[in-house]
Amino acid sequence: MLETVAQAVVNGLLIGGIYALVSIGVTLIFGVVKIVNFAQGEFVMLGMYISFFLATQFGIDPIASLVVSMPVLFVAGVLVQHFLIRRVLGLDDMPQIFLTFALSLLLVNLALMLFTANYRTVHTWYSDESLHFGEINVPVAKLIAFVLAMVLSGALWVFLHTTDLGKAMRASAQNREVAMLMGINPNRVFCIALGVALALAGAAGSLLMPFYPVYPLVGQIFVLMAFVAVVLGTLGNVVGALVASLMMGVAESLGIQFVGADSGLIVVFLMLLLTLAFRPNGIAGGRAR
Amino acid sequence: MIRGLRTRGPVWLGVAAVILLALPLVVKNSFVINIFIRILLFAFIGVAWNLMGGYAKQLSLGHAAYFGLGAYTSTILQIDFGISPWIGMVAGGVVAMLASLPIGALCFRLRGPYFAIATIATAQVLMLIFLKFRDFAWGAEGTTIPNLGNAPFMMQFDAKAAYYYIALGLLALGLAITYLIERSWMGCYLVAIGEDEDAAEAIGVNAPRIKRDIYMISSFLTALAGTFYVQFIYFIDPNIAFNFSISIEAALVSIVGGIGTLWGPVIGTVLLETTSALLQRWLGSSFVGVQLTVYSLILMAVILWRPTGLIGVLTDAYGRLARRDPARA
Amino acid sequence: MTLSSAQVTWPWTKVESRQRPAETYTLIAQEEYNMENIAEAYIIGDTETSQTSPIRQRRRDFLIKTAGGVLATSVLGAFPTLSRAAEPVNIGGLYPVTGSLAQIGQGCVTAAKLAVQMVNDAGGIKSLGGAKLNLIISDVQSDTTVTRTETERLITDYKLSAIHGCFASALTLIASEVAERAKVPLLTGSSSDQLNKGRSFTFTPFARASQFAQAQLRMSRLVSDKPKVAVIFENTAFGTSTSNGLREQAAGEGVEIVLFEPYSAGFTDASPLINKVKASGANALFSVSYLNDLILIVRTVKQVGLNIAINGGSGGFVIPDFYKSVGKLADGLQGVAHWNHDIDANAQKVNAVYQKLTGEFLFEYAGGLVAQTFMIADALERAASTDPQKVRDAIASLNVSSGYAAMCPGGKVRFGPDGKNVYAHPVGVQWQNGDLASVFPKEDARAPLLKT
Repeated sequence: MLETVAQAVVNGLLIGGIYALVSIGVTLIFGVVKIVNFAQGEFVMLGMYISFFLATQFGIDPIASLVVSMPVLFVAGVLVQHFLIRRVLGLDDMPQIFLTFALSLLLVNLALMLFTANYRTVHTWYSDESLHFGEINVPVAKLIAFVLAMVLSGALWVFLHTTDLGKAMRASAQNREVAMLMGINPNRVFCIALGVALALAGAAGSLLMPFYPVYPLVGQIFVLMAFVAVVLGTLGNVVGALVASLMMGVAESLGIQFVGADSGLIVVFLMLLLTLAFRPNGIAGGRAR
Repeated sequence: MIRGLRTRGPVWLGVAAVILLALPLVVKNSFVINIFIRILLFAFIGVAWNLMGGYAKQLSLGHAAYFGLGAYTSTILQIDFGISPWIGMVAGGVVAMLASLPIGALCFRLRGPYFAIATIATAQVLMLIFLKFRDFAWGAEGTTIPNLGNAPFMMQFDAKAAYYYIALGLLALGLAITYLIERSWMGCYLVAIGEDEDAAEAIGVNAPRIKRDIYMISSFLTALAGTFYVQFIYFIDPNIAFNFSISIEAALVSIVGGIGTLWGPVIGTVLLETTSALLQRWLGSSFVGVQLTVYSLILMAVILWRPTGLIGVLTDAYGRLARRDPARA
Repeated sequence: MTLSSAQVTWPWTKVESRQRPAETYTLIAQEEYNMENIAEAYIIGDTETSQTSPIRQRRRDFLIKTAGGVLATSVLGAFPTLSRAAEPVNIGGLYPVTGSLAQIGQGCVTAAKLAVQMVNDAGGIKSLGGAKLNLIISDVQSDTTVTRTETERLITDYKLSAIHGCFASALTLIASEVAERAKVPLLTGSSSDQLNKGRSFTFTPFARASQFAQAQLRMSRLVSDKPKVAVIFENTAFGTSTSNGLREQAAGEGVEIVLFEPYSAGFTDASPLINKVKASGANALFSVSYLNDLILIVRTVKQVGLNIAINGGSGGFVIPDFYKSVGKLADGLQGVAHWNHDIDANAQKVNAVYQKLTGEFLFEYAGGLVAQTFMIADALERAASTDPQKVRDAIASLNVSSGYAAMCPGGKVRFGPDGKNVYAHPVGVQWQNGDLASVFPKEDARAPLLKT
C-alpha cells in the first residue's frame, strides 16, 4: 500500500515537472505582458516537432536538441510579441485572449497541414528504461525531463532575480508605467518575456519527446493543466506556478490511483475550485508579481 | 444606438423579419437551411452570453456548463420520464439558473483572467462529472434520443423548417430580452459595472446582486439552446454538451460582432458561421487543416484590425453613407 | 484473380451466369490485368515508409495520378464499349480523416476507393447497365457533431443508395441514427452492440463487441490456466461495449476479473493506470483502447517492468502504426479483430494491392470495408435499382459464401432480423515479426500461436 502511494507520488512529481515548464511560461507572460497566452501548448508542440525532425533526420537525441528548439522558440516569441501582441496591448482582455486563441487554432492547423495528424514517436536508448529503487520504479526519460525542468526553472528564477534584464521584467510586471519612467523599454522587455516563455515551452516539448508522441493537438492537454497550475499558483508568480504544477501532478496521480482512472482531472479541477473559494488569488495570494 | 436607425429602425426590422420568416419556404436546400439554423442558434447563444459578458464585462468562458445542463435535463426528463422536451427546455433553464447561483458565488469574487479560468474550470468539472457517472446520465457513451419520427409535441420534426423556426423564435426571444434590459435601469447598472465595478459600487449599485441576476438570465437562455441542440442532432454526450468550443463561440461572436451591443452577436455569428461553412465547402475536402488555417487567419485579421468588433465598421459606414456625424459604436 | 467455380460470373456472388462461359473467362483475364493496372497507377517511386514529407508528396502524386487516370478513363469512356452509359450509383463513405482518429480514417478512405475501383473495373453493376459506383467520401473529423451534419449533407446532396462508415462506434451510432431517419442503409464494421438495437437500416457484417469480449477471454486461457485479468478501457461506446461483454462473460469462461477500470482517452501519462494494474495482482491485462493510449500503455508496462500478458483487444491494436510506434514490444502481444488480411485468398490479394499503394498491410477496418463495398454492389445488383429502400431490402436478404462480399472470418454473410451477420465471429490475432497473424480459433488460425 505504501509503495503504491509512493509510486503514485513519484509518477505525479515527474509529470508535474513538465507541467511546470509549460505553466511557468504562461505565468511569465501573464505577469509581464498581462495577457493570457492560449497558444502556449502549440509552442510545446512546435518544440516537439523540432526535436522529432532533428531526431529522425540527423539522429540527434531530443535532449540534445534543446539547444536548437529553445533558441528557435525564443525567436518565435520575439516575433509573436513584436508583430501580433503589441497591437492588442492596452485593450480589453477579450481581444487579447482571442488573438492568442486564433493563433493557437492557426498553429494546430498548420501543423495538421504540414505534418499530418499521424502520431510520431522517437525511440531513444533510454525511452523504455527504468531505474528501480526497491519497489519504486522511475522511468529514466521522465527523470531526465524532471531534472532538466527543475534546472531550467531554477535558471529562470536566477535570471529574474539577479540580472538587470530580469529585474526589468519584474519591474514591468509590477507597474508598467513606473517602469517606463525608470527608462525601461516595455516592448523590449515584453519581447524578452515572450521569448523566454516560449523557449521554456519548446524545452518542455523536447523533453517530452522521448516518452510522448507528437501530433498536432498534443498541446491542448498540456495547456489546460498549465492554466490550472498558473491560476492555482497565482498568476504571474513563477515559483507559485512551479509548486502548483507539482501539486497538480501528484493530485492527478493520486486521483487516478484511488478514485478512478477517469478521475484524475476531476481531482485537479476540484482542487482548483476549492483553492479559489478560499484564496481567490491563488495559493501565493496577494497581488500577482 | 445610431440616430438614423431610430426612426427607420422598425422598418428595417420588419423587412428582415419577413425575409427570415419566408426563407424556409423559398430555400429548400437542406445544407443552406442547416447553416441558417446554426447561425440562428449560435447568435442566440451569443446574445445570451453578451448580456453578461458584453454589457457587464463579466467574461465568462464557461457558458457551455449551462448549455450542457439544459441539454441533459431535457434529455433525462424525456428518456426517463417521458416528459416533452418543450417542458424539459424550461426545466433545463431552471436547473441552469439554480446552478448559476453557486457558480456565480464562487466566480464573482474573482477578477479578470481568474474569473475566466474559473468559469472554464466549472464547465470542465461538469463535463468530467457527466463523463464519469453513468448512473444518471449515460456517462461517456452518451445517448441518442428515441426516434419518434414526426412528433411535434416531443420536439421532433421531419421538416427541417420547423427547427429553423424554433431557432428563429429563440433568437427573437434573446434579442427582445436584451433590448428590454438595455433600456431599463438594469441595463444602466450593467454598463456601469462593466466599465468600473468599484466606481459603480461606490455610487450605490448593488453589484453582486445585479451580477447574480444577469447571470441567472444568461444561463437560463443558454440552457434553452442546449435543449434545442440535442433535439436537433438526436444525440448527446458530455463532450458535445459541455464542449469548450461552445463557450468560445458564444464569446467570440460577440467580440467579433461588437461586444455589448444588441446586434453585435448576430453580426458576428453571420460572419463567422458563413465563413466557416463556406470554407468547409470549398476547402474541406482538400488537404486537411487548410480550411481552419484560413479561418484562423481571418479571425486574427479581424481581431487585429477591429478589436472592438465589426459593428464599428458598420456604424461608421452607415454614418459616412448617411452623411451624419460618425456614430460611435 | 482465380475464381472458385465456373458458374460464377462476378467475383463476388454465386448468381447463375446469363452469359456464355467463354465470356466469363475473358472477364477473369481482364480483371487480373486491371488489378495490375490499379497497382501500377498508384505506385509512386519506392515504397519506403519514412515518416516525413514523402507521405504528403505521395498523397499529392496519388491525387494527380488518380485525376489523370480518371481523365483518361473518361476520355476513353466517351467511346462507349457497352451498349449505353449508365448513371453512376452514389454510395457514401464517412470516415475520420482528421482529428484523433485520422490515421485510421485515411487508411479507410484509401481502401474504400480501392474497393470501388475494383467493383467498377469488373464492370460495375451489370443489372443497372454497367453503372459505376461513385464513392462520395466525407470527413467526419473524429467529431460527433460533424458526423451528424455530414451524414445528413451527404444523404440530401447526393441521393445515396447506401453508406458505409465510420470506424469509431461513437461516430457510427450517430450516422446510423441519421441514416435510419432518412431511410438509407448503412453498413459498418463498428462493434458496438447498440448498433443492432431498434434499427432496420443498419447492418453489421462483422463481429460484435460482446463476441470480441468472449474471444479475448478464451484467448487468455491459452496462456494461463487461471487468468486473473485487469480490464482497462476507454470510456466511450467502443470501450464500454467491449468491457461490458467482458464483465458479463468472464465467469462463464473461467476468468477472474481483478480490476475493471474505465479511463479517459487521451491521458498524458499511463503510469498511474499501470500502477493500479500492478497493485491488483493481475497476470493478464485487457486494454480496450484506441491507438494513442495503447502505445503509452504498452510502453509504460515495459518501463515499469511489469511481467504481464497483454491482450490489446481491437481498436488501435490492429493497425500498422501500433507496431511502428512500439516496435519490438508488440511482438507476441495478442488481440482480437473482426477482419485480418490473412483470413482467405481474396483478403491476401487485396492486401497485396493495398500494400503497394501505401506501404503498409491492410488493417482490420479497412479490409472489412472492402468486403462491405462488395456487399453493397451485390445488393445493388439484385435490387436492380438505386432506391435506398430497395437496396436495404436487398442487403437484408444477402446470402453469400464466396467472393469479396464474403471476405470475412468464416467466409459467409447472412443478416438476421437485427442486422447482425449470423455467421460473424472475431479472429484472435498476434503480432509476429511486424505482421499481424490470425491465431485463434483453430478454424481461422493461419499461423501458430507464439508463446512469449
